Amino acid sequence: MSTIHEQIDELLAADFHGELSATERDAFHAHLVDCADCRQAFQEEKTMHKILNETIADKKADTGFEQRMVSHFRDRVPQRPGLIQLITNLVRLRAVQLTAAAALLLSMVQVGRLITGETISPMVRREDGTSLQDSDAPKSAPGARRESVSPLAKTDTRARGADDVSANTVSSTTVAGMLAQNPAPPPAQDKAESRAPATKLKKSETKDERSQTETTTSESPESPSTNPGPTTNRKLVRNATAELEVASFEEAVQKITGFVAEDKGYVSTSSSEKQANGKLRGEIVVKVLPDNLDRFLLKLRGLGELKNQALTTEDVTKQYFDTESRMKNARLMEQRLIEILKTKSKDVADLLEVEKELGRVREEIETMQGELKFMDSQVQFATVTVQLAEKNMNVPAAFLLKERAQLALFATEVEKTYNEIKALASPKVQITNAQINRDNTGRVSAYVYMLIAPEESEAIIARVKGMARVENFQVQTERVSQGGDGLGENAKTERDKVVLNITVSREEQEQPLQQTTLRIRSSEVNDRTKQLRELAEKQSGRIRSSSFSRDSNGREYANISLRVPMKNYSALMQSLNALGKVEDVTVRRDDRPDSQVNQAEAPADVTIQVYSQGNIVSEETGIVATLRRTIGQGASALMWSARMIGVALAFLAPWILAIFGVGWVMRRISRARHARKQHAEEEGGVS
Amino acid sequence: MDSNEHDIYRAAIHGDRDAFEMIIHSSSRTLFAIAYGVLQNREEAEDVVQDTLVKAWKSRWRVRDPGKFPAWISTIARHRARDLARRRRPEPLPHDFESVETVEPRTEPGNADLNCEVQAALSQLPELHRLAVTLRYFEDLDYATIEQTLGLTNGALRGILGRALGIMRRKLKPALASIA
Repeated sequence: MSTIHEQIDELLAADFHGELSATERDAFHAHLVDCADCRQAFQEEKTMHKILNETIADKKADTGFEQRMVSHFRDRVPQRPGLIQLITNLVRLRAVQLTAAAALLLSMVQVGRLITGETISPMVRREDGTSLQDSDAPKSAPGARRESVSPLAKTDTRARGADDVSANTVSSTTVAGMLAQNPAPPPAQDKAESRAPATKLKKSETKDERSQTETTTSESPESPSTNPGPTTNRKLVRNATAELEVASFEEAVQKITGFVAEDKGYVSTSSSEKQANGKLRGEIVVKVLPDNLDRFLLKLRGLGELKNQALTTEDVTKQYFDTESRMKNARLMEQRLIEILKTKSKDVADLLEVEKELGRVREEIETMQGELKFMDSQVQFATVTVQLAEKNMNVPAAFLLKERAQLALFATEVEKTYNEIKALASPKVQITNAQINRDNTGRVSAYVYMLIAPEESEAIIARVKGMARVENFQVQTERVSQGGDGLGENAKTERDKVVLNITVSREEQEQPLQQTTLRIRSSEVNDRTKQLRELAEKQSGRIRSSSFSRDSNGREYANISLRVPMKNYSALMQSLNALGKVEDVTVRRDDRPDSQVNQAEAPADVTIQVYSQGNIVSEETGIVATLRRTIGQGASALMWSARMIGVALAFLAPWILAIFGVGWVMRRISRARHARKQHAEEEGGVS
Repeated sequence: MDSNEHDIYRAAIHGDRDAFEMIIHSSSRTLFAIAYGVLQNREEAEDVVQDTLVKAWKSRWRVRDPGKFPAWISTIARHRARDLARRRRPEPLPHDFESVETVEPRTEPGNADLNCEVQAALSQLPELHRLAVTLRYFEDLDYATIEQTLGLTNGALRGILGRALGIMRRKLKPALASIA
């Protein structure tokens, strides 16, 4: 009961508004019957409810209100065309917004990247070092670094190898180790050379017989006599060749024969031939005892300059003893057969058979004996082949002086000159080639190639020079040695036939000695041009080309190119002043100090442009052009700044977006807080 | 809210003008009641409703949950009306009930027109209370709808309306007594 009484305001209102549940209403009305205060309040509330209904009814919105609102809305928010509508709606979608932001950011980064030329290459790509994009210095670094290992090592080994050669240090082991890794050209040969610099003999030996047995190598000249033990059992065939350059062939042969006699050997063959320049060349084959071979070779070196030497050793031990044992067997066989012949001599056929077999065995024995003897002789004596050549083998026997002359001529009448030159032909002047060319532009040129006997050459060349103006004359002399090269003190020199190549061209083609260009300004271009022609003719000049043109701006141009002899040049230039104002004079002179050109007759070219000033401002300088240029430059400047802005944005964009994001979150938080406070205020105002 | 209404709100949020006009038809009176509740002036209230509709259309994409659309549009109307009221009356609206009671001058009751007195009593209520009363008597809306429109929790309106009418009743007691 008490709760109802306390909540009377709420219950009253709800009762009149029909918002009480059935049980609530029953309880409420029961209370009203009991409580006078509440009944009073119920009465008052009822009156007020009625009054409120009445008063507010006429404040209510009128019937046309909704329609008015709609039409108002239509006025204030006009319907947009479908596409724009669609786009604006799309733009408002959160997903679209996010996508657009991401795309913008990406494009900015891309633009920035394009402009700065920086690449965003991940580290992973660097490691494999094969990225195609990575072409600049820092990017190619990894590959280069990786590669550089081997060249470094190579150079290192090479350097160390060099050290080894010079110092013979122990570090060669490391070199070998490195070389095993790097199959670079091994300096082994050099090493070998440096290790045994004492004698070249050993070099050749080690080179040739590295693969042979120890005993072979032990026969090096350092220890031929100290170490004879193993050699005694062995059958070695030793051969040597040597090439020597000596002062005198005969003397060398004498000496060699002497050496051979000393060493208990003999000269087996000797041959010699005489060269064209009187020098001798020959070969001697000598047999010496193998033990004395090295000593003999050393002696040989004293004869002259050793050009080449080779020493070979062939081990025939196995072959020798094989043959020997086979021969022993054959001997035994022979004995047996003889015995058979002696004891069992009954059957003639058998006897014949045995006899035949005996013959075969004996033959075999003889062959083997021969082989052994040959081997013995081979082993007994070493063969030394000495090739001898006298010094300055290549001195030439004679020299031939070849002269080759080239003559270029300018003639007024090419054909006439050509025929004149051809008429020079005689037994001592042979024309090898002559031709005259005429092309469709009327240009004529002629070539004559001739051979002249040496004694006639000067006279003929002088005559040809007199026929026309000489542009160029060249003589080339060559001394050709015969039968060798080098300097021959005693060889005589002969003059060969002189080759003369003559080129005749027309004067027009001659290069002018002096080239002049100038401009004359005049209002009457045509008249001036005519006057100019007359002037040129007076000075015996020839017009080479002329042209006339008028451009869109009304300017007239006449270009005249003419040629005058040098002697008339200054007169012509003076007379030009009468035609008008002479401008922009350029003179170019090609002085050819060594040429035989006749200065007074040499041509001078003058190119004259006669022109009139146009009235119209040209397109290049007018105000429109200026405007066009200004706009163009402005546009390019704008483009440039836009590009720069792109760069700046690309750098700034991530930060700006981040700041906006933070700001957005902060605003949301503060707004939420504000709304909560307001709500609390409203609630608090009531309670 | 039934699913049909929900669909309409969703369509409006996605830019369907027809749907929005349907919403104008269905809720402009409620909005008017809110505006009038704040401003106590028909012309101003109508302007506020117009502004509210335009603003709601332009920023409709901000509403993510179509179910909250009515509450949202009511909030707009309320804020706009409050802005207008603040501009009209520089001094802040009396929010505090106690101060209203003390400030309120005791005019001679009974003699004057009762309607005017009811009006005065209504205008002196706190805003939320006044809105509740206006919505209830203008449009005869049930409590649930009003709660939804004003963004109140379930059952809160009963207390608010009770208190509001109770205050008015006590204030108008002499006049009411004379009539009764």
